[in-house]
Amino acid sequence: MIPGWLLLVAATGVVVGMFSAFRAPRYWLGALLGGALAALTAAIWILGSGSIWDWRSSFPLGGEPIHLRLDALGAFFLALLAVLGGVGGVYAREYWNDRQHPTSAPWGRIWWNALLLNMALVLLCANGLHFLIAWELFAVSGYFLITLERHRREVRAAGWLYFAASHAGTLCLFAFFASLAARTGSWEFGPLREHPNLAPLFWLALAGFGLKAGLFPLHIWLPSAHASAPSHVSAILSGVAIKMGIYGLMRFTGWLPVPDAAGWVVAVLGVVSAVLGVAFALGQHDLKRLLAYHSVENIGIILIGLGFAMVATAHGNAAWAQLAFAGGLLHVWNHGLFKALLFLGAGSVLHATGTREMSRLGGLWHAMPWTAGLFTLGAVAISGLPPLNGFVSEWLVYLGLFDAMAARGAAAWAVIPAVVLLGVTGALALACFVKVCGIVFLGTPRTESATRAHESGWLMLGPMAVLGTACAAIGLAPVLFWPAVARASAVWQPLWIDAAPPASLVTVGAGHLALATLGALAAVAVWHRVKRNGVSRTVTWDCGYAAPTPRMQYTAGSFSGIITGWFGWILRPQRHWRPLQGLFPRRASFSEHTPETVLEQVVEPAGSVVLRISTAVRRLQHGRLQAYILYLLIGLAALALLTLLGGAR
Amino acid sequence: MTIALDMLLRLFVWLLLAPLMPGIVNKVKAWVAGRRGPPVLQLYYDLAKLWRKGVVLSTAVSPVHIAGPAVAWIALLGAAMLLPVGPGGAVMAFRGDALLFVYLLALARFCTAAAALDTGSAFEGMGAAREVSYAILSEAAILTALLTLALQSESVSLSTMLAPAAGAGAALLAAGLFTVLLAENCRVPFDDPNTHLELTMIHEVMVLDHSGPPLAVILHGASLKLLLFAVLLAEAVLPLGKLSALAAVGTLMGSVLVIAVGVGLVESLLARFAFRRVPMFLTTAFLLCLFALLVAWKGGGA
Repeated sequence: MIPGWLLLVAATGVVVGMFSAFRAPRYWLGALLGGALAALTAAIWILGSGSIWDWRSSFPLGGEPIHLRLDALGAFFLALLAVLGGVGGVYAREYWNDRQHPTSAPWGRIWWNALLLNMALVLLCANGLHFLIAWELFAVSGYFLITLERHRREVRAAGWLYFAASHAGTLCLFAFFASLAARTGSWEFGPLREHPNLAPLFWLALAGFGLKAGLFPLHIWLPSAHASAPSHVSAILSGVAIKMGIYGLMRFTGWLPVPDAAGWVVAVLGVVSAVLGVAFALGQHDLKRLLAYHSVENIGIILIGLGFAMVATAHGNAAWAQLAFAGGLLHVWNHGLFKALLFLGAGSVLHATGTREMSRLGGLWHAMPWTAGLFTLGAVAISGLPPLNGFVSEWLVYLGLFDAMAARGAAAWAVIPAVVLLGVTGALALACFVKVCGIVFLGTPRTESATRAHESGWLMLGPMAVLGTACAAIGLAPVLFWPAVARASAVWQPLWIDAAPPASLVTVGAGHLALATLGALAAVAVWHRVKRNGVSRTVTWDCGYAAPTPRMQYTAGSFSGIITGWFGWILRPQRHWRPLQGLFPRRASFSEHTPETVLEQVVEPAGSVVLRISTAVRRLQHGRLQAYILYLLIGLAALALLTLLGGAR
Repeated sequence: MTIALDMLLRLFVWLLLAPLMPGIVNKVKAWVAGRRGPPVLQLYYDLAKLWRKGVVLSTAVSPVHIAGPAVAWIALLGAAMLLPVGPGGAVMAFRGDALLFVYLLALARFCTAAAALDTGSAFEGMGAAREVSYAILSEAAILTALLTLALQSESVSLSTMLAPAAGAGAALLAAGLFTVLLAENCRVPFDDPNTHLELTMIHEVMVLDHSGPPLAVILHGASLKLLLFAVLLAEAVLPLGKLSALAAVGTLMGSVLVIAVGVGLVESLLARFAFRRVPMFLTTAFLLCLFALLVAWKGGGA
């Protein structure tokens, strides 16, 4: 019962926070942090003990009695939500402060709490109807957070796209839960593995939850929404909100039977999302848009784990499936942590320079060393490099896939392209984040605003440091986090109830520790040697040119040019090029822009066709009464005809 | 005590023998060209000199410029520790160390490229862009090679994977891995370690602004990487696990020498490729490894 009380404390904290959001932001923060801490404790309690908290009330809401339930899988996501909700709230106090945003800051605090509360309810509801209500409220609070800066046109457009996509997904979920309730006779959900007639419903769940998770090609709303939202909102949207889609998929693929093809489809979607997500990211010039595309990539990695685990379960060999699933699940935490860190870092850069355009930044390391260092930590983590957490989860997925191939089962053939493409994704992400760190933080400032950059205060740096520490902790001591992963996996597949950590997980942790220690020591040693030998300063070597300017630095577009060239078939970059002409050319310019291909080439043409058809159909409605009476008569005649013919049969 | 001794011995072998590799390659090149060439130990002299020299830093650089090469060197050393040395085995052998090996090389790449971008030089930007772009293809090839070995040995630990012979696909695997070795170590035909034309280089251009001890660390790391790939190639193809300890060590040393001579011969006889042909050549390496994988699949009797 203790988790129940803790959750009550958490809910009270968040609700009380909402009431003090306008008048007393300090109490808002205190209540929010208290609530987040209580929720985190409850989640750790459930993950640590493996118990299930179950609470029923006879009080009906919408005709259904309230039923709340928290098991290890829900707690796994709740822990991430609590951490990001807390640190994001602290960050917002400085980043979205009342001085700079007098009207939107209080509303931002209210919607922040609403978002947290509703996401937690999504995780807790054990009744389909209430799940849908919570889901809808969560989507709406997300909309109001994205559009905090409503006076800007691009923000409104992004918010509208988010809203439309979100509701398209909700529509699928309505169909899913309604069909589920119709077939089982109850809105309550729980394990129903012995009902093969429920299997086709999986496709509805995939569409609904997939839209929220932002898997390719359902990601169209994601880049603009995450780029236009305030950075702490981007962090929680990328870190937790899209994971709600993953939660839904994991929850219902675990509880309900799935069609035979389901695992394959999820795995293929995962691979496609991973590779194309990072390819699109490479083509972006906007720092936050780039990070948003990386969410698509990481959702892909999570789905590779989930998809192959589903394939394995369908074929009855669960040994390697557990590793793949555990990798995907741990990546939920990892991506939540490092992506939130990166978004907060990007927010810090935006706060200091006023721009998200990478080509206007540069050399920020000197002005904001803490932001730069923490952002680079996040970059190393998201590239899946040791000794940080990104590597641990990808390593688990790899292990599962390698074992699948060694088992030479049905999945073995599919594993080969998956492994190679997962490796390619990692290398592409590395290229992308070398680019980001290099262009934004290294070199010299490219514009006046980058020169005037300043370091953020501790309210912004503190949350980033917390997230960075969490990334390092999972990387250096992965085995400590294994029980949580194992217990949450056991909810998905009860056979894995007592899964011991892979023996080599301890060794990986030890290796990471050695690597981190020795790396730091080596850096210090070389630096000492450099100091001792003496340092002289001069301009960067540019083939003897004595006055290099910041404009001569390599640009983000050039850096990724080779790779975006390879992916030109899908990125379809738009180039505006005025070449040099004549003997004494005066002006030349080149600019490149990577559009959102799926949105502009598929969804918008389809939308315009729908609009044209609707316009044509609208001619039927013109306000002339005589014509309407004619419609009525025709309708009645048709009905009469139908009845007569039906009667004859 | 024996563990510590073993560790020290291993470190000495890797750290002390690595700079021999470029020396041998250069000697072979000189020999083919009919020159006397620099002494085989030239890199040792260079390293000793650089370690004692002062440093010229660009005004644009941050701590990344110094820390990058140091961490990259540690990452390469870590990768070397994961590789089994003939009968000696690896320092740490565990399930999945093959993947850590690949990602340690990636970490070294991240650090080197970041340290290069730190100077804000367009040339170094170019080199870093090429390095990280072409590495995507070579990483795909390495992973395919590892898949092949994993399929044959039914293991994901380098010590077990590298012990048996590569089987029927050995020639394909050797060709693929040798190509990757040339690309990853920036040798002709992908890159020319001798050129001083910044526009055409990959790796050498990334270190233009390094000097003194950091440059020494970079050069030593590069030689370590060459030795690493040579050992990987030799062990992947030859059945060292079946030989007695002494024979295995002898074979390993001999084959690494052969590979070094091979690199030197390739460098003497081939010209550098145009950059647009590099991806094609690396894709060929990937395909070679993929065919080796298919051969291994059939050989195993699915």
